[in-house]
Amino acid sequence: MAALTRSRERIPASFWPLLALTLLGVGLAIYRLVVGLGPSTNMNDHYPWGLWITIDLFLIPVAGAAFTISLISYFLGREDYHSVIRPAVLAGFIGYGIVGVLLFLDIGRWNQFYNILVPGYINLHSFLEEISLCITLYTGILVLEIAPVFLEKWGYKTPIRWIERGIFIIAGAGIVLSMLHQSSLGSLFLLMPHKLHPLWWTPALPLLFYLQAVYTGLGTTAIAVRLIWGALKLPINRDLFRRIGQAMSINLMLYAAIKVGDWMGSEEVPLLLRPDAFGLIAWLQFLIGIVLPLGILLSKLVGHTSGPFWAGVFALIGTFIDRLVISWVGLAEPSPVTYFPSWIEIMIMVGMIAGGFLLYGAVVRYFRLFPEPEHAHG
Amino acid sequence: MTISRRDFLKVAGLAVGCALAVPETVQASLPPTDPNEQIAMLYDATICVGCNACTNACRQWNGTTPEPDARLVYDAPTELSADTFTLIQLYQGEDGVFSFVKRQCMHCVDPACVSGCPVQALQKTSDGPVLYDPERCIGCRYCQYVCPFHVPRFEWDVARFPVVAKCHFCYESRIIPGIGGPACADRCPTSALIWGKRGDLIAEAGKRISENPTRYVDHIYGEDDAGGTSVLYLSAVPFENLGLEDLGTRSIPEISEETAELVLPGILIGAPILLGMIRLTAKRGGWEDTWPL
Repeated sequence: MAALTRSRERIPASFWPLLALTLLGVGLAIYRLVVGLGPSTNMNDHYPWGLWITIDLFLIPVAGAAFTISLISYFLGREDYHSVIRPAVLAGFIGYGIVGVLLFLDIGRWNQFYNILVPGYINLHSFLEEISLCITLYTGILVLEIAPVFLEKWGYKTPIRWIERGIFIIAGAGIVLSMLHQSSLGSLFLLMPHKLHPLWWTPALPLLFYLQAVYTGLGTTAIAVRLIWGALKLPINRDLFRRIGQAMSINLMLYAAIKVGDWMGSEEVPLLLRPDAFGLIAWLQFLIGIVLPLGILLSKLVGHTSGPFWAGVFALIGTFIDRLVISWVGLAEPSPVTYFPSWIEIMIMVGMIAGGFLLYGAVVRYFRLFPEPEHAHG
Repeated sequence: MTISRRDFLKVAGLAVGCALAVPETVQASLPPTDPNEQIAMLYDATICVGCNACTNACRQWNGTTPEPDARLVYDAPTELSADTFTLIQLYQGEDGVFSFVKRQCMHCVDPACVSGCPVQALQKTSDGPVLYDPERCIGCRYCQYVCPFHVPRFEWDVARFPVVAKCHFCYESRIIPGIGGPACADRCPTSALIWGKRGDLIAEAGKRISENPTRYVDHIYGEDDAGGTSVLYLSAVPFENLGLEDLGTRSIPEISEETAELVLPGILIGAPILLGMIRLTAKRGGWEDTWPL
C-alpha cells in the first residue's frame, strides 16, 4: 500500500498532456457534430469508412482482455487470475467506451442512433446489427462486472453481494456476447468478397477474428499487468505470466493453422510471392504478429515476465496490421480517389484514447483496482 | 407466407440470447416473389447514343442539383453522387471502339445492401426496386461498402442529417401512381433503355443476341451475375470494360447469411452449454493436470 499512498501525493506528470489532448478531442468532436463529416474528415464515397473504424476494429480485440480473463478465471477456475480481473475488466469497459464514442461520431444520422435497438427496425441478417446489439448488451455486462470497484468504495454492500452471487451468469453472458461480436466483426467483411484483398478475405474470417481477439486480449493483459504492476512495484506472479503466455500460444497456433490452410486451400500462395505491397504486408503481419510471438512463447522466455510481455506487443502489432488492411488498405476501389485521415479525425481519435487513459489512471488512483502486495499471489 | 428454416433458426437463436423475437422483421426480409415477375430495366449499350437525356430526366424528376463542368456550360457529372442517381459514362478502347454505359442502382435480386443494413433502411420491395428509408437510417455507410457495384452515395457535406442517395426506380413517385416507368427509361429517345417485367426483358435481350450474334457479346449482364440484377445490360464490348466486373453467379449475401445461420444459433446455444461443462469440470478439479493454463 505504501506505493499507492505515496502516488496520491502529487499529480503525475502525464496528467496534463493527457488532459490537454482529451479536451482538444472533445472540442473537435463537437465541431464534427456541428459541421458534419464532409468538412471535418477525409472520408468519401470511395472510402466511406476511415481511421475511426480501423481503431474500433483494433480496440475491440484489445478490450477482449476482459472476456478472456473472465473465461479463464471464472470458468476454468484459475484462482490466481483473480488478481487481474479488475484491471482487465476496467480496460475492457473503457475500451468499449472509446469505441462507442467513436462510432457515435462516425455515423451520419446520430440523432437516431437508437434505431439499432428498435425491434421493428432490427435486421436479423445483418452482422452489423448483431454487433451493435451485442456491444450494447456487453457494455451493460461490463458495468455490472466493474461496479463492485466503485460500490465497495462508497459502502454499498448489498448490491455487491448480488453481483457476486450472479457472477457466473453475468460473466457467462459476457463471454457469449463477446464470442458473438468478436467473430462477427470478421463476418462484417463476408459481404465484401469482391472488395477485400484475397489474401485477407476468407469464409473463415469470423473464426480468425475470434482467435485473434483471444490472443490479443491475453497479450494486452500481459502488457498491462507488467506495466502497471511494475509502476506500482507490486510483485509479479511469474507462474501466472507463464500461463497467460501458454494460453496465447495455443490460440496463435490455431490462428496460424487456419490462416495457412486458407492460403493453401484457396490457391492464394502465388499472391504471397508476388512482389507487391500486399504480399509484403501479409508476410510482415504473419512474421511479426504470429511467428515472432510464437517463437518467444514456445521458448524458455515464456517463464520470464518479459516473454509474454513482448509476445503481447508483437501480437498486438500483428492484429493492428490485420485490422488496418481489412478495414481500409485492402479494400479495392475502381477509382483513383484515395483516403488518408484528416488531422481532425486523428486528433479526435487521440483525444478519446487519451481520455481513456485519464479515466483508467483516475480509477487506479482513487479506487482499489489491484490486490494489495501480500495478496498478489492469490 | 412461409418461414424458412434459416429464418426460424435465426429467430430462435436470437430469442434465446437477446430475448428479442421479431417475427415481423423476418417477414419483411423474406425473399420476394419470383424475380422474373418483378419490374426491371434493360440497357442496350449498342443503341445508346450517349445523349444524357436519362440523366436529365432523373434530375428533373428528383429535383437534384446539376453538377456542371468547369466552364459551367453543361451538366457534366463524372460519377454517381448524392445528387446524381444515374449518368452515362464513355468507354474508349485502344482500337477506336467506344461504348457508352449507364450507371445507376442495379436493384439486385438478392442485394448485399439490404442484407447488411442493420436497421432495414434499405429494403427490397416485392415488385423489385430496392428502396431507402431515411427515417430508419443511422448513416453508418455499411451499404456503401458492401455494394459490389459501388452505387450508394452519401451526403458528406450535410451536417444534420445526411442521407444515403441512390436510384429508387421512381417506384413510389411514378410506378405506384401509374404515371409511367422510371423517368430515365421513359425519356430515352432511342429506346436503348426500356423497362418491363424482368422475365420479358431477359427474353427480349436473348432474342436480340440470337438475331444479331456479331453485334453483341454473348451474355446478358445481370441475368445471373451476382445472383441476378434488375438492371440488365447488353454490350458490344466486354463487360469488364464498362466497369461491370465478373462477380460470379452467387448472390453476394449468400456466404454471409449462411454463416449467420450457422454461427449465431451455434454460439448462443453451444457456448452456454460449453461454459457450463467447463465450469463443472473445473469444480471437480478436472483441469488441474490436463489444461496447460
